[in-house]
Amino acid sequence: MKATIQKKVFNYLLKNNVKNFVGVPDSTMKHFINEGFKKNKILITTREEEAIGIAAGMSMSRSDSLVFMQNAGFANSLSTITSLVQLYKIPMIFLIGWRGFLKNDAPEHTKIGKIQPKLLQALSLQSKVLNEKNWKASCDWALQLIKGGKPCVLILIRDFID
Amino acid sequence: MIRKEAISIISKKIGNQSIISANGFISRDLFEINDKNSNFYMIGSMGLASSIGLGLALKNPKKRFFIFDGDGNVLMNLGSLATIGATEPKNLVHIVFDNSLHESTGGQPTISKKIDIHSVAKTLKYKTYKATTKNELENILHRIKKMKGPILILIKISKSKTTSKRVDIDAIKIKQRFMESL
Repeated sequence: MKATIQKKVFNYLLKNNVKNFVGVPDSTMKHFINEGFKKNKILITTREEEAIGIAAGMSMSRSDSLVFMQNAGFANSLSTITSLVQLYKIPMIFLIGWRGFLKNDAPEHTKIGKIQPKLLQALSLQSKVLNEKNWKASCDWALQLIKGGKPCVLILIRDFID
Repeated sequence: MIRKEAISIISKKIGNQSIISANGFISRDLFEINDKNSNFYMIGSMGLASSIGLGLALKNPKKRFFIFDGDGNVLMNLGSLATIGATEPKNLVHIVFDNSLHESTGGQPTISKKIDIHSVAKTLKYKTYKATTKNELENILHRIKKMKGPILILIKISKSKTTSKRVDIDAIKIKQRFMESL
């Protein structure tokens, strides 16, 4: 996704009361994260589960939170999602970079990229893939869900090879 | 000193302040000794009590948060101690009950006899204390009463002979009453 849209996504969520952006970086969303750094709103953690734990504490403080990660980190986080986020029904938005979407992405991403939609489905986590046309509607959808106390996922496709 | 004795001493000293307690026997002991709305029993997600506590501490700077952790939990998420050291929450007190065992799963050893969690925390910019007796623990709790964190108190405990009952409150209820207590 283009840098300008990534920045818009960040600023739109910020404007709509998402106060905390916690996670582990992924190049897929580097412009989103850089925009957050400019606004002094980013907390980088050592692992994704840690970010989810911190966001859980922030959400319980009634402060809306987003956790960003690559899909490798999503795979790390399965148990935390089931036994913390879903068990206690703690709302937060996950922003996940979809590595392995392109067939010629680096080999370590192939398998997780392939099973990612099935994993989300198995977890009953609602998700939407962001694109340059639907980003605002998708953000509204996510904001509405967390307002209702539900976690949800926004996905950014890795559409370039470096 | 066993964990229940340590928890009992701490409970008396800190009154109704918020506690985020790790899964397993730590939450079970706390639940049996001093159940209250401001206890967040983390019944799954091992390792994350300190992360949840950090999120709460950062968002509620006027309140103090106590984390009840174990050696197994800390070793599972050591990165959390680094993040706490780097973010320097002044209102966070991290209490680690160290028996060098995964007691809840049958008493298998952890590596905390070889790796000193107290020294690790010191390197990670915590103010650190170590207690092996009830007297030492009471003195430390007195000393840190007004001190700015992050503070880590490592309490050496021995294996308990009895097991506390399970936390039988529904997870959503645990969350709701904890949130209301904030």
